[in-house]
Amino acid sequence: MRQTMPVRLGAAEDTLIAQLKSVGADATAERITVAGLPTRRVESYHYTDLKTLLRAVPPLAQAANEASAPALRVPGAYQLMIANGVIQSASTAPAGIIVGKADGGVLSTRDDILVHLNGALAKDSLTLTLESSVDPVIQIDRRIEGEAAHAADSLKVFVADGASATILETFSGSDAAHVGNHATYVALGKNAVLTHITVDLSARATSHFATNEYHLAEGAKLRTLVIHAGAGLSRTQLFPRYEGAGAHGDITGLNLVSDGQHADITMDATHAVPGTSSQPLFKSIARGRGKAVVQGKLVVARDAQKTDAKFMHQGLMLSDEAEILSKPELEIYADDVVCGHGSTCGKLDEDSLFYLMSRGIPQEEAETMLVRGFLEELVDPIEDAALAEALHGVIDGWLLGK
Amino acid sequence: MTTPILEIRNLHARIEDREILKGVNLIIPPGEVHAVMGRNGSGKSTLSYVLAGKEDYEITEGEVLLDGENLLDMDPSERAAAGLFLAFQYPIEIPGVATMTFLKAAMNAQRKARGEGELSTPDFMRAVKTAGTDLHIDTEMLKRPLNVGFSGGEKKRAEVLQMALLQPKMCILDETDSGLDIDALQVVSKGVNALRAANRSMLVITHYQRLLNHIVPDVVHVFSDGRIVESGDKDLALQLEAKGYADFDGAAA
Amino acid sequence: MADYDDIPTLKENIDRATVDSVLALDVDKYKYGFETAIESDMAPKGLSEDTVRFISAKKNEPQWMLDWRLEAYRRWLTMTEPTWAKVHYPKLDLQDMYFYAAPKSSPAPKSLDEVDPALIAMYDKLGVPLREREILAGVERPNVAVDAVMDSVSVVTTFREELSKVGIIFCSISEAIREYPELVQKYLASVVPVSDNYYATLNSAVFTDGSFVYIPKGVRCPMELSTYFRINEKKTGQFERTLIIAEADSYVSYLEGCTAPMRDENQLHAAVVELVALENAEIKYSTVQNWYPGDKDGKGGIYNFVTKRGDCRGDNSKISWTQVETGSAITWKYPSCILRGDGSRGEFYSIAISNGYQQVDSGTKMIHLGKNTSSRIIAKGIAAGFSDNTYRGQVSAHAKAKGARNFTQCDSLLIGDKCGAHTVPYIESRNGTAVFEHEATTSKISDDQMFYCQQRGLSEEEAVALIVNGFVRDVLQHLPMEFMVETQKLISISLEGSVG
Repeated sequence: MRQTMPVRLGAAEDTLIAQLKSVGADATAERITVAGLPTRRVESYHYTDLKTLLRAVPPLAQAANEASAPALRVPGAYQLMIANGVIQSASTAPAGIIVGKADGGVLSTRDDILVHLNGALAKDSLTLTLESSVDPVIQIDRRIEGEAAHAADSLKVFVADGASATILETFSGSDAAHVGNHATYVALGKNAVLTHITVDLSARATSHFATNEYHLAEGAKLRTLVIHAGAGLSRTQLFPRYEGAGAHGDITGLNLVSDGQHADITMDATHAVPGTSSQPLFKSIARGRGKAVVQGKLVVARDAQKTDAKFMHQGLMLSDEAEILSKPELEIYADDVVCGHGSTCGKLDEDSLFYLMSRGIPQEEAETMLVRGFLEELVDPIEDAALAEALHGVIDGWLLGK
Repeated sequence: MTTPILEIRNLHARIEDREILKGVNLIIPPGEVHAVMGRNGSGKSTLSYVLAGKEDYEITEGEVLLDGENLLDMDPSERAAAGLFLAFQYPIEIPGVATMTFLKAAMNAQRKARGEGELSTPDFMRAVKTAGTDLHIDTEMLKRPLNVGFSGGEKKRAEVLQMALLQPKMCILDETDSGLDIDALQVVSKGVNALRAANRSMLVITHYQRLLNHIVPDVVHVFSDGRIVESGDKDLALQLEAKGYADFDGAAA
Repeated sequence: MADYDDIPTLKENIDRATVDSVLALDVDKYKYGFETAIESDMAPKGLSEDTVRFISAKKNEPQWMLDWRLEAYRRWLTMTEPTWAKVHYPKLDLQDMYFYAAPKSSPAPKSLDEVDPALIAMYDKLGVPLREREILAGVERPNVAVDAVMDSVSVVTTFREELSKVGIIFCSISEAIREYPELVQKYLASVVPVSDNYYATLNSAVFTDGSFVYIPKGVRCPMELSTYFRINEKKTGQFERTLIIAEADSYVSYLEGCTAPMRDENQLHAAVVELVALENAEIKYSTVQNWYPGDKDGKGGIYNFVTKRGDCRGDNSKISWTQVETGSAITWKYPSCILRGDGSRGEFYSIAISNGYQQVDSGTKMIHLGKNTSSRIIAKGIAAGFSDNTYRGQVSAHAKAKGARNFTQCDSLLIGDKCGAHTVPYIESRNGTAVFEHEATTSKISDDQMFYCQQRGLSEEEAVALIVNGFVRDVLQHLPMEFMVETQKLISISLEGSVG
């Protein structure tokens, strides 16, 4: 009876369509032609309306000529670099790591525009096979250099049964209006243990998008920490799937936003089999007119009995004008489960502030102390001391960099 | 006459529309320990918060001098640096901040405010260790986040430890005995008594006489309906314990 | 109830009582599923501008009302059905249903004596007493006044005189449009705009009846006001419209109940309820929704697509929604509060029970606009059978809502492993001084609880009912006394057959 209204396309969409066609990704181009970039009416983009937020897309990235200093240095880390979507040659890998390359993107198909774009535009992917436990922190330094560029890159990680490792991904680059679309696919074997940390330290002018997909086999343990502390617009999508009994995920994340920034962490987790657990914990701190978004969905499949999953988001407002938006979701099809979520939002606790000040600590210092304390829960569980120190440095840098 | 450590003149304070302090007058000379006793809701805890500078209260009249300095113009951290210490009835739990980190920050902030240099880490550690031994506080406890998961006794001992480290001129102890068993009460009282000195005064706020067997006051005040209605020596506390507060209701009216 | 005609011929040596009790186990437990034979005046089938004109004419409405309806109808034509709710159902063919059905006998009875006795008997059977004299004879003081709405018309409103003594207007909305046009024009669609959503716009075009309440300044309504909605006719939609205005410093508590006969077809109920609370006024609105939920295979049942919204327009006003949702095949309903006045307060207490193939997507919106506004949400969802039960809620503090506060608690209970329980809150703080707390849990009745109850002699079903009643207690206590006991029974009935 009624016709679907044709979608009006903007400059960003036109550029994307042309870029997709230039690499032969006609299906994805067609998708954007028909539906445009997602607006707030698309549930998973409810608070991050890409059509409004992403006004322009720069040309597809060319190989980089120069490189800025690494955004974050962790003493003793083994470094690999992807610059402007191009995998750079690496030094000899420490024992237990096999570094390789594969064609195309890494993410499983899913109805999501960022996933489609990465699949279409990432030329090849860096692969890491962790055959046994690896001691040094593995750092993937992903960056976009030079003039404003649209870059897509991808990483695929296999952690063998019983192996353990810590991977740090950093995102940075030159001070230009880049659009970065990064993908990471991680498969954890039986009883594998992985700490996966992603830190966005891109320039303000950059738009940073990342999608991390995780598959956990029996007894696998995953800890993640996403930190948004750079780009003007950032969104990290986390898609953990608990596929073996005893699999557990501590999925954590932190939005640090200042005036004019928009940061979004969106998790869509599936507990697919009985006897898995997760404890997602996200925090957002907003100041000025900063906007932080956390969406977190826990799906418990039919028959995934004995799932134990608790989601928490805590928002801290450091200014009157800040915005913190959250949408925790439970979608539960099994009855013998313990699932829940919580979401709180407010300013610093006045009683705590009074207590610290009553001991002689001046207000500003007391506030900083409380904020650090608020965030400690996220950094504290990270075992590698040098890495934890580097992350404290990122947080302090934001706190002091008003 | 020497300057009193604390002088409160006709202090009135309210929270929202409710007047809670209705003309408090109190002078505490150096070296003296004064007790304020009163039933629940009489406003004695409010007095401690108002002195420490909690924002929820509005001072409508009166003044407070700490060693001759006007206290009410200062924010809570300035009052602390000036030498005022409040041992909280319910110490606040602060997740993520290690007790040790907090202690060092507090000591250095006060030193800085007074124009003194920062403590070196060895000096700080030595000071903490010394003060902690008497209060049965080990370094493991100090690595834990401030007051988080502390038992009632641990919280109160940590308060006294802070008092010992910060060396204030004026200590206010708000219901320090609440939530303590006899053993813990003795440890805490011993810690407080060890801090009694000729240049330090104390105000002990309590509901029960029991604490005053351990921390023996020089003067006892009875607090009722927002003001002091009776003052006397330590026997007044025993009298109160025997007869209850009813005899003192409206005594100042 | 299934008719005895459907029973195969009785075999000899089997007594009737045995058959009855066996039958009682088989048939649906819905006890309001009977149909009453009352001759109705119907609109021609389907929806068009003519339908709108027909309804308006039937109601003797003034021209402005017809124009308003037509405007709504034209807007509706440009709208599409929302799809974001977690409900799936075959689309209704609006051209195959009736938008107006009224008992022929009593278009506008002046007194109870003129009301068709069959109607009064029907309401008696539903447990809704309409005879004032009998009520008065039975108790010292009447505590509930009732507006009874069947299909498209209000058949009777009790205790109107008693109420009018203190200046309260309690009548059908049709009558209010004729008698109090200035009040209706001032407030109608002032809370739910005509084009608010697909169903609300449809309602604006074709609403047939509902209640109108006006509480004057400073008046505390001396009794509970209630409306009893009944769908009786086949293939008929019910489009109720309720408007409650509480002037400054007034108070009213209002209850509504709903039932419908059991039928194989799906019927549509698309209501709009608007509440306006002025300075210091308080409105308490309670619903016990027990529309026919469909049979055990998911056949039939009411589509309950409802827009309910309250506007705390005055400073320090308060609106409190309490709902018990046990019926309907599909529920799409979000009673909300716009907290406009400084210091105003909104509350939402909800019990939503789904069994069989029911699908519930319900919750609330608390929109904080004024300073120091506060809201509280307690939602309890219970899913059994093959049902899906979703809580969907929005809490939002706008930039000017300094000091806004919200507390939300959503708990879901799953009974059986073929159902689903979902929670979708939207928590939007656009203000550094706002403090929001949200918590949700999902669990099942623990084996220990069941064992304990059964050890004390309760049957499995009794134990479930007992534990569920405990689970929903926080909400139950916000219902008026009259409803509490009934509701507890209703909860037990709704969950029958959910275990074992």
